Amino acid sequence: MSDYTMVKESPLGGAEHEFDGVTVSEVVDQSLVMIAMPNGEAENIEAAMNKACGLSVPAMGQSTQSSDGSVTLWRLQKNQVMAYYAYEGDDAEANIAERIDAPSAYYTDQSDTWAMIRVSGERSRDILERICPIDLDPNVFTLGSVSRTIMEHIGTVIYRDGDDSYVLLTMRSFGRSMLHAIEVSVENVL
Amino acid sequence: MIINHPLLGPRDSEEFVYLGSADLINRPTNWESEEAAEDFYQYLYIRENIAGDNRELWYHEQGDQSWLVVTRCTLTHEIKSVELAQDVSRAQGRSK
Repeated sequence: MSDYTMVKESPLGGAEHEFDGVTVSEVVDQSLVMIAMPNGEAENIEAAMNKACGLSVPAMGQSTQSSDGSVTLWRLQKNQVMAYYAYEGDDAEANIAERIDAPSAYYTDQSDTWAMIRVSGERSRDILERICPIDLDPNVFTLGSVSRTIMEHIGTVIYRDGDDSYVLLTMRSFGRSMLHAIEVSVENVL
Repeated sequence: MIINHPLLGPRDSEEFVYLGSADLINRPTNWESEEAAEDFYQYLYIRENIAGDNRELWYHEQGDQSWLVVTRCTLTHEIKSVELAQDVSRAQGRSK
């Protein structure tokens, strides 16, 4: 019998495309872990993570950062937060559980289930406004805002990680469709 | 059509799916009683056809997956209020 070995591969193979005024690139260096907060535990969890690394639970649709800036928390639902942070190991769940140090929370590694695409550059909003139903006005969707919505019929999380930089997350199997939708929007706009 | 989500702000109706009357929250609990058949018949099939404000259930499928009770005028499609179904249910004395 043959010996098979698993080869690690990102959902889009590290795709990167430069256009005039906008760059579309896959995000490959970030992990994503869901942190569920059981009923009645939210305050304890927040106190523990605040003590461990200066994190607080963000308001809905917003994000917070740890005191050293290495971990970002997103709030998309009432009873959970998502930890988005630079980590390329295979044990993100254990790693973040140790860093946040809140044992009553439930951690689920979702890093490999999402395709992450960054759309950045001075024309990024022009590209995104064609496909995104969320109001992306810089004063409305402020730096650090995060939202789950639908783009080209694909469920998408959008996170603003810079003045002219947005990260889009879709389910891994929809990654290529999302990349195509963005590229079509680029063709239409530029 | 824009639905003003109580937690997330204004959202396009494309993100939501419609279920039906908010009466569907009040599922009969007396399934062992004599009246159960009649009560479930009423619960499942009998609806008022309201020309005016109608309370209905919407699901934010492409969003935070919350259930909402939306009060919509069937004559004008104006949305008059949006509440979390969870809050409506708790206000009626349920635990969840």
